Amino acid sequence: MTLAELVRQDEYVWEVPKDEALGMHVPGRIFLSEALVKYLEPGAIQQVANVATLPGIQKWSLAMPDVHTGYGFPIGGVAAFDATEGVLSPGGVGFDINCGTRLLATTLFKEEIEQRIDEFLTALFQAIPSGLGSKGQLRLSETELNDVFSNGAKWAVNQGYGDATDLLHCESNGCMDDSDPSKVSPLAKKRGKPQLGSLGSGNHFLEIQCVDQICEKKAANLFGLKEGQVCIMLHSGSRGAGHQICTDYLKVFQGASRKYAIRLPDRQLACVPADSPEARDYFGAMAAAANYAWTNRQVMSFWVRNVVEQKFGTTATLVYDVAHNIAKLEKHSVGEERKEVYVHRKGATRAFDKDASYGIGQPVLIPGSMGTASYVLHGTKKAMAASFGSTCHGAGRVLSRKSARSSLTWKTVTENLRQKHIAIKTDDLSAVPEEAPEAYKPIDDVIDVVSKLGISKAVARLTPMGVIKG
Amino acid sequence: MSKYEFVEHTADVTFKAYGRDLNELFTNAAEALESTLVRLDGVEQKETATIEMTSDSYENLLYDWLAEPLVRFEVERFAVKKCIVKIAGFSLAAKCLGERIDPNKHIFNAEVKAVTYHNLQVKKNNVYHAEITLDL
Repeated sequence: MTLAELVRQDEYVWEVPKDEALGMHVPGRIFLSEALVKYLEPGAIQQVANVATLPGIQKWSLAMPDVHTGYGFPIGGVAAFDATEGVLSPGGVGFDINCGTRLLATTLFKEEIEQRIDEFLTALFQAIPSGLGSKGQLRLSETELNDVFSNGAKWAVNQGYGDATDLLHCESNGCMDDSDPSKVSPLAKKRGKPQLGSLGSGNHFLEIQCVDQICEKKAANLFGLKEGQVCIMLHSGSRGAGHQICTDYLKVFQGASRKYAIRLPDRQLACVPADSPEARDYFGAMAAAANYAWTNRQVMSFWVRNVVEQKFGTTATLVYDVAHNIAKLEKHSVGEERKEVYVHRKGATRAFDKDASYGIGQPVLIPGSMGTASYVLHGTKKAMAASFGSTCHGAGRVLSRKSARSSLTWKTVTENLRQKHIAIKTDDLSAVPEEAPEAYKPIDDVIDVVSKLGISKAVARLTPMGVIKG
Repeated sequence: MSKYEFVEHTADVTFKAYGRDLNELFTNAAEALESTLVRLDGVEQKETATIEMTSDSYENLLYDWLAEPLVRFEVERFAVKKCIVKIAGFSLAAKCLGERIDPNKHIFNAEVKAVTYHNLQVKKNNVYHAEITLDL
């Protein structure tokens, strides 16, 4: 499917017309701009159309402006399925269940740490295990692991890795009640057990950032953000536990899709009726992985806070923690009706118009590529109407990892970072080009679309001072 | 006939594996996967692992098979240098030769999260071929 087949609805919305011959139940909608449309791949358009063929999909198959080709669902995809007539699809969540971002705000300002950035970064690098197959420092028993799966970030707080207010600043308070650890396979447990409290590798990272621009003062005040303030952003997920849970259920769903006679344009879209036993099992296991991921980020925050305390004698408060690979049972307006739907966000962030702890739109954390800006935004009413309360999740890739490695060297990329006064630490320098800014769309263009469209509003822009690439 | 080749995919890694028979196809696909994880020229054949499995189609068998070296790499820290695969019907028996991972000796390439079903098909023209996408 090509760009020529899309119908431009307005400045920021390109529609994939509903094609009944393809089996689409609803049209697709891709949020873009003149600046971003050139990056749109035919493969991603096809994947938006494919998702629209799944039973019970509501309103549209959506793609955020950071969209790119994935497998099954596009990355940047959002789809809501009726809670009784619709489906659940592990491919619509992805392997890294509850991959997400978390932002901690310190009481420090840029000039206080500028001269000590290498020392600060090295201490964080030593405190937080990162890289391929990284393992955490915790030694969990089987019971404790099940407790993590059941209680999420609350488990960590109960163990002393943070305080109760942290939970107020996490999506779903850092715990999905739907978790059922008995639906997690022994292999997923085996993979997850040694890895709790580790960053992982690939595009996972920890960054020391500083607020370089306040875009909306009132919201920034509420979130506790000031110009020049030093923050720490974490990007990580559910590690091997989540990967294995998705792998396990994709296998079950291959056969189950056939059993329920669901026609699939791509096997990675395997899905089952949302009220089936298979869906209940998957949702219980997925929620367990989501809880693991919130715990993982909570435990790493504890170590970040230790370093901040030891090095600078001060603290860091949790601004927010948000998932961008997840399925949630939520209520949304469909026509005149309020309906229960399973919203699948695959490389998309929840952006609700209300957050109980801050009293305004929910904080949304959008990391840029390595060496470029990240944003704090807040959710809006428009998001509730236009995107099932969702927005983008990052800059979105444009170069494959292979092309990035062949067109860029780690020396050039790290030299470019050095010239921008950004320190870097990693276990694997050879993988640095994969995450270079050139491999991604410009983050400012992506934020421009979600802001102008109104599905979230920029609150603050943060620029990196140091990065730990996982 | 090349054993495998990597093709462009924006986010992840896709490769095409080839084989004159299914045994060779599965062997080559495993090698492509392993080479995504670690530099194979540094891995020696010191230990043997035995893998047996049965599935209901060649595609599902390939998915299950490729998940094995991935899990062994992460859980048992075992890198596979060479596989000897025998397929009969939808059953597979394999011997995998390799060694325990030593971070001081081996050069890692990438963390692979999982094997996907995306476009997964086992086909035969002149030779057997399959396209596999890995999630990174």
